Amino acid sequence: MLMEDLSEGGCLVVSLREKRLDAVIAASFREAMVARIDQGHRNIVLDLSQVNFMDSSGLGSVVYVLKHLGHTGRLHICGVTPGVMAVLKLTRMDRVLKTFDSRQAAIAA
Amino acid sequence: MTSRLKVGARPNRQSLRSAVDYHLEVTLAKSADNADPEDYHLALALAIREPVIRAMNSTEERVIKSGAKQIHYLSMEFLIGRLLSNNLRNLGLYDICAVVASDMGLNLVDVLETECDPALGNGGLGRLAACFLDSLASLSYPGYGYGINYQFGLFRQTFLNGYQREQPDNWAVHGTPWHVERREQSSMIPIYGRVEGDLDGDGQYNPHWLDWSTLIGVPADIPVVGYGGRSVNFLRLYTARAPAEFDMAIFNDGDYLRAMERQVAVETVSKVLYPSDSAEAGRELRFIQEYFFVACAMRDIFRRHALAGHRIDEFGRFNAIQLNDTHPSLAVVELMRTLVDEHSMSWDSAWEVTQQTTAYTNHTLLPEALERWSAALFGRVLPRHLEIVYEINRRFLGEVALRHPGDDARLQRMSIVQDLPQKEIRMAHLAIVGSHSINGVAEMHSELVKSQLVPDFYELWPDRFNNKTNGVTPRRWLLNCNHRLAALISEALGKDWVADLSRLSKLEPLAADPAFRSAYAKVKLQNKADLAQRVRAVTGITIDPASMFDVQIKRIHEYKRQLLNALHIIHLYCRMTEDKYALPTPKTFIFSGKAAPGYALAKLIIKLINNIGRVVNADPRVNRSMRVVFYPDYKVSVAEVIVPAADLSEQISTAGYEASGTGNMKLAMNGALTIGTLDGANVEIAREVGADNIYIFGLTAAEVIERRMAGNAAGFAYDSDPHVHRILTRLTDGTFSAEDRDLFAPIARALLEQGDYYMHLSDFADYARKHEQAAQDYCDVDKWAARAILNVARSARFSSDRTIREYATEIWDLQQVI
Repeated sequence: MLMEDLSEGGCLVVSLREKRLDAVIAASFREAMVARIDQGHRNIVLDLSQVNFMDSSGLGSVVYVLKHLGHTGRLHICGVTPGVMAVLKLTRMDRVLKTFDSRQAAIAA
Repeated sequence: MTSRLKVGARPNRQSLRSAVDYHLEVTLAKSADNADPEDYHLALALAIREPVIRAMNSTEERVIKSGAKQIHYLSMEFLIGRLLSNNLRNLGLYDICAVVASDMGLNLVDVLETECDPALGNGGLGRLAACFLDSLASLSYPGYGYGINYQFGLFRQTFLNGYQREQPDNWAVHGTPWHVERREQSSMIPIYGRVEGDLDGDGQYNPHWLDWSTLIGVPADIPVVGYGGRSVNFLRLYTARAPAEFDMAIFNDGDYLRAMERQVAVETVSKVLYPSDSAEAGRELRFIQEYFFVACAMRDIFRRHALAGHRIDEFGRFNAIQLNDTHPSLAVVELMRTLVDEHSMSWDSAWEVTQQTTAYTNHTLLPEALERWSAALFGRVLPRHLEIVYEINRRFLGEVALRHPGDDARLQRMSIVQDLPQKEIRMAHLAIVGSHSINGVAEMHSELVKSQLVPDFYELWPDRFNNKTNGVTPRRWLLNCNHRLAALISEALGKDWVADLSRLSKLEPLAADPAFRSAYAKVKLQNKADLAQRVRAVTGITIDPASMFDVQIKRIHEYKRQLLNALHIIHLYCRMTEDKYALPTPKTFIFSGKAAPGYALAKLIIKLINNIGRVVNADPRVNRSMRVVFYPDYKVSVAEVIVPAADLSEQISTAGYEASGTGNMKLAMNGALTIGTLDGANVEIAREVGADNIYIFGLTAAEVIERRMAGNAAGFAYDSDPHVHRILTRLTDGTFSAEDRDLFAPIARALLEQGDYYMHLSDFADYARKHEQAAQDYCDVDKWAARAILNVARSARFSSDRTIREYATEIWDLQQVI
């Protein structure tokens, strides 16, 4: 699983360089994100611009990350492709997960 | 692939030949030396496909550009039949293709015979849907069908020692050139999972549907060519696929096997059409099938709505959805879920849109045939939808309670959720509550829907209930399958009748014209000779085209009463062999139809008919004047051969049971006189053709109920009518079951000990009398021809064009896009 980290504007920008966030990589993704949170990163921007498919396991892992951050952390998501947005809307997670049209907007918010 | 037929130019002999040659050589890699008729069929279909696809694309462009309202017809079944011959006729290319085939040393009819019927339905419901699509396209209405691309359709029926045997019907294995796969328009469909409740930023309930499994619905379009070829709509059928192509690099051994199992399980969703009347109909896979195609359809409708540039709140203004029976009723819930969950619409606005959009067609009066799903299964497969159903029901019952305070019994009767004996969701109630229109499919049926089936709903919303008598397309069911009669009519009237069946009324005076009657009789005889040839080839039985062809072709079911017909044949056999009775005219009884695999009594009736046939056809005392045939593997292409050849059409269901029927209409349209009960559309056929041109018999629907309540109707008939007594004796004395005297005891028990629920014995005497009268009448061949012509001339009402115009005007508010 490929992820790239970048520090910018006080946030950790994590770019997931995979086409699919699904059952295959969900567990690894979750572990990798938890490790970053446990290292002290509380403001995270998750760039999903490469991801065009997300299943319930993938969504579940993102939700897990949000919960792990708790009230003291923030998770902003950018680069949401239509396929992923459809999943967020289907599950009404678009009302819970904060999504932004651009990386800059996600960092600035 | 290079197009061989020029865009915009009407295909001619040369261009068609060139196109066929091209596809044979290049697409199929065959030559004249090694091509068989099936190859020529494919090559011709591929050649014709080009202008069809172009017309389909340009029709779609026209519709989107016009911004017109569209109708989406949702059905679990579409019995579309063979496509090439139908498309050739509708395009006006049949004759030129016959010439091209002849140029190639072929008979077009033989080439067309090689096409498989896509068996995507059980019977009338699926065939009605197909007729409707033809009429929608022919009338240039923007209308689309949505369904499932079953890999295995209705089973193939063979007989072994007279018993029905079922074999898989893998119709698609031969390939069909008419599928246009649209992989890029696949839909992701979730099932199973759980709902986790939450509050959103405004403190409102925010449910999350999580941990679902994913199905991918991959659409393939079948073009629906309207008569004249100007409008070509499509039927969109979905195949279920697992979400990921299998990736061997990722999985270890254990995961690999689990993943393969999951892939197989997912693809099962579109594997098999469930036979109707089956106990398996209650199973989870069937429920998933229903949701799968509804969800795929809804995704697509929303996509096209957005493509046309319309707003979400205009959804009901630009889309009509027709539910063909209760199988697509989940559309009500899916529409609500999409509007509320995905488009953040308020509940009330979403409900207004849903009701504005959705309409429901009821096809049965049997309360037990109305679908119910256990709430446990519903909630396990569609947890979010179950929540929505409960909320719909809560608000609905609130409305009912306001109108009828304190009437708890009414609330229980009307509730979408039945609590006892177990918690179930009543899909018919869901469909009614979610629709702005509820229609039956024949005048009598629609009245009974209001008065007997759901009177509480009619009382609450009388304006929503209406009738739309079924119809059949005159293209397939007259122009295409009975080209001789079609040519005779066109010679007399011109060709406009094909698009406007009311013009057939001009045939009426010709019923008095001896030359026309003679020409009609000749056509009928030629059709019967064709059928006789086919019967001999398929069954080995020789039948006489000069005999009266008495035809009963439909699903085998007790309420359709093939058994009554069989008992009558036994009666005739007994009269001829024991009473020295002579039939006024030779008769050939032709049956065709399938019994659901789990329906034991229906299968025994098939065995009985086959055994009767074996005895009758071999007995020299009767076999010169009577023959019995059970034509195997009934399907659209079989009906297309039998319908034009029929003299007498058996429409003998127990009154009050057949919602409409459509076989009755096809046969009348082709000149068969009906012998039938006052049931379904028979009532309207009788009214249209006139009492002199039909044989009505038997108890009315009201009389059936009275007789049942009085009790022992069967016993009375058995004791008082010696003919009935004799028939039942022969049924169980080994006359028709030399191998086992008790073979047909279950049938005898059903008739005598179990109350003869479907009133075979009570209707027998009147039925036999009418048969005697019909046989006498048939002796006057000329007069019979006159009455047959009047049946044809008066069949305009039963065109599906009329039906669709009514739907379009009164339910869908649709405009043509020309």
